[in-house]
Amino acid sequence: MHQRLRAALRRPSLAFALVALVVLAAAAAATAAQRGHAASSTLVVDKSFDLKTADPQRQFEPTGGIVDKALYDTLLQFKGADVAHPLPDVATSFKASKDARTYTFTLRKNIKFTDGTPLTSADVVFSFNRLVNLKGNPSFLLAGITTTAKGPYTVVLHSSTPNPAIPAIVANTSLGIVNSKLVKAHGGSDAKNADKVDKAESFLNSTSAGSGPYTLKSYNVTSQVVLQANPSYWGPKPKFQTVIIRNVTAPAQLLDVQRGTNEIALDLSPAQAGGLKNVNVEKTPSANVFFLFANQNPKVSTVSSNPHIVNAIRYALDYSGAVKLAGAGAIHATGVIPSMFLGALKSSPVKQDIAKAKAEVKASGISNPTLDIEYPSDITSNGLSFGVLAQKVQADLQKVGITVNLKGSPVATSLNTYRAGTEQLGLWYWGPDYPDPNDYLVFTPGATVGLRAGWAAGQLPSLEALAKKAAVATDPAQRTSLYRSIGTQIDTKGPFFPLIQPGQVVATSKNLTNAPFNVLYWLNVAAVGSH
Amino acid sequence: MQPSARTSTFPRLAFRPGRSRERSSRPFLRFVLRRFGALILLALGITVVAFVLTSVVPGDPAAANLGQQAINDPAAVAAFNHHYGLDKPLPEQYGIYLWHLLHGDLGQSEQNHDAVTHDLSQAIPATAELALFSIFVAVIVGMSLGVLAAVRRNKATDHVLRVVSLGGVSMPTFWIALVALYVFFFRLNWLPGTGRLDAVVLPPPHHTGLYTLDALLSGQWGTFTNAFRHLVLPGCVLAAYNIGLLTRYTRSAVLEVISNDYVRAARAKGLPARIVVPRHVLRAALPGIVTVIGLAFANVMTGSVLVEYVFSWPGIGQYAFHSATTLDLPAIMGVSLFVAVVYVVVNFLVDVLYGVLDARLRVQ
Repeated sequence: MHQRLRAALRRPSLAFALVALVVLAAAAAATAAQRGHAASSTLVVDKSFDLKTADPQRQFEPTGGIVDKALYDTLLQFKGADVAHPLPDVATSFKASKDARTYTFTLRKNIKFTDGTPLTSADVVFSFNRLVNLKGNPSFLLAGITTTAKGPYTVVLHSSTPNPAIPAIVANTSLGIVNSKLVKAHGGSDAKNADKVDKAESFLNSTSAGSGPYTLKSYNVTSQVVLQANPSYWGPKPKFQTVIIRNVTAPAQLLDVQRGTNEIALDLSPAQAGGLKNVNVEKTPSANVFFLFANQNPKVSTVSSNPHIVNAIRYALDYSGAVKLAGAGAIHATGVIPSMFLGALKSSPVKQDIAKAKAEVKASGISNPTLDIEYPSDITSNGLSFGVLAQKVQADLQKVGITVNLKGSPVATSLNTYRAGTEQLGLWYWGPDYPDPNDYLVFTPGATVGLRAGWAAGQLPSLEALAKKAAVATDPAQRTSLYRSIGTQIDTKGPFFPLIQPGQVVATSKNLTNAPFNVLYWLNVAAVGSH
Repeated sequence: MQPSARTSTFPRLAFRPGRSRERSSRPFLRFVLRRFGALILLALGITVVAFVLTSVVPGDPAAANLGQQAINDPAAVAAFNHHYGLDKPLPEQYGIYLWHLLHGDLGQSEQNHDAVTHDLSQAIPATAELALFSIFVAVIVGMSLGVLAAVRRNKATDHVLRVVSLGGVSMPTFWIALVALYVFFFRLNWLPGTGRLDAVVLPPPHHTGLYTLDALLSGQWGTFTNAFRHLVLPGCVLAAYNIGLLTRYTRSAVLEVISNDYVRAARAKGLPARIVVPRHVLRAALPGIVTVIGLAFANVMTGSVLVEYVFSWPGIGQYAFHSATTLDLPAIMGVSLFVAVVYVVVNFLVDVLYGVLDARLRVQ
């Protein structure tokens, strides 16, 4: 019977064959048609999305930053990879008072928003007040700073404390200047209670209200954002008429950038970028500083707060091994301040010294010191997972007789213990909020991150005095020397052990030019060129 | 998730026919109403579970969504908690949620500040398109291979198919996805890589949200081809597990029937095999297979999380993943509700199909 039944197979297998045929035919037929279809005036940027919003005053994530950099102008801006020298944008010049509390910006007069409305000081005041009063992620940037207009083309920023970081802060994309008339007409508010009454976010997620080189064509938080060149832009015209920023995971980016033209991949790890051929690959150190800390609060742990154990950890860590682990482009973090910022240390004052570390463990008088290390287990930054780095720390400390238990948990959970200051050892990173060393005073005793490591005010008075001075110093040379002293003290006496700055990779199609990584903006799409 | 879906497969299969027979003895309308009532109870239960679980997790939505600096600012934390109603006691939060739910409002997502209903209206068609295509492929291919394996029992074809189907059910979906992407997109360039359309192709006008269908409805043949080509890789990867499952189940269901007397009688009276297999054998084996197809939907739901992630497919799976990692309660609840509704509806359809396929049930 089976033999005769075979004849019947024709039907189901025919169906199968037909489906396979249709699929393959459609695939093959369309392949040719699609090739070269990517219009030459379209730039495609692959980014693993962390997009929450395109509203500049609510936005504080890398993807949102790339979008808003293209849509909105800021008072000052950074160009290329540089983040040390703010250059004119909307403001043609600025003057700082001697005490670094008052900054007066003179605005360019020929700027118009896309609807034809001229950009004036009222728009700057509205945007900055809205930023503060929305009480969102980026609001802290202007904490203690008031913005006032002095005539239609002059804006004055006044800070309650001396603030030499203001020029770097106003270059942030969250301080993008919106068309106040248009935003108000769509429910926007800069009033004190803007966090409750402002309804402009959905409008700003569908239409851009800026004067930047691009306008928003379409916006989808999970798939892609499309930007269209702004025909009335006052500055140099961007090379690409359309920019598409797509949500793509790193492994797929790797394939895309090798296949396409006019493609940029922003999330490749140094290891992934290693084997790339016929693609421009730029590897630079990221401004994210990965660090380990030992909690100084004896209530959290009498082991981690023991000064000898702190020193033992400092000298037991294999810093160059950690750099190797992170891959090409990574460097040893010389201090908590990243290498490209003012005041960064040229080299680290700490080197691995196993004998010294062992002696410190002995001097502590603690037998079999054991510590828990906590870290976000679900985060990979620049291709480096915290779990791998934690294992390296565990192995390093094991060599000097300190037992480390790995206690990784998802970031939504581990952030809580980190913020509460209850982690014995913590492995985290700090990314810059704005490119100025002021942002790193949080690592001193009694400050935000210091407290997370149980480092209360009064535990290192000499450092605290330096920090107070640095916060208000205005002279660049004096600031450099103050921040270097701070860095040295944290490295040699503090409970923080800066490990690495991982490598940041930007991979672009061979035909693209001028797409450097900027630690503040990631990528300025308007500057990308091609040949 | 997947293993539990698998283990529940077989015991349920054994009970199914009996249960349905008992049910279909009551009027159809009553059956539908009962199912609808069950759906509402289930939805309520799901909201309670999702709500309690999300609040029990030792995490803080404000910490997950605010930046490192903003989280230190009590005003920013208060503003966040107030905006999402997190400053109210839990029972009150739940009450408010239910009240809004009654009005069709699923709340606002904390991760992207959008209305959850809006997010779902974007994500559901994307997943539906992928799921339907994948189920279609799985049913055609899986059943064909299953019948083939059964009629060539213990021959070389059967052995090869056994290995193939075992591969389908045992290879991890994300791995197949990455291999498929590497081979068919990167190496051979037969098919496009990630996303629902090429970056430069605009989505068709919105009718159903299924790009292939919308493109056909508006006569955009180029967009249809593009959307379809994007569908092929993730759809087939997602179908791999179900192809294996269906092949194995169809084989055993067909084998059970094929040695029956009535099949032999049909053959004896001279009917050709091409009529006997589809009309007599497959027809009798179908009710059980339909149950497996119902379960295949469950596999598609769990599998879509990984496949959508690898292929950057903006569907329910990716949305669920992001919601979970940012403790985005309104979004988690929205996704859970949607998945619950799908399960109930699919089960309902399977039960109705029994009646259609098995004449004995209709008579009763």
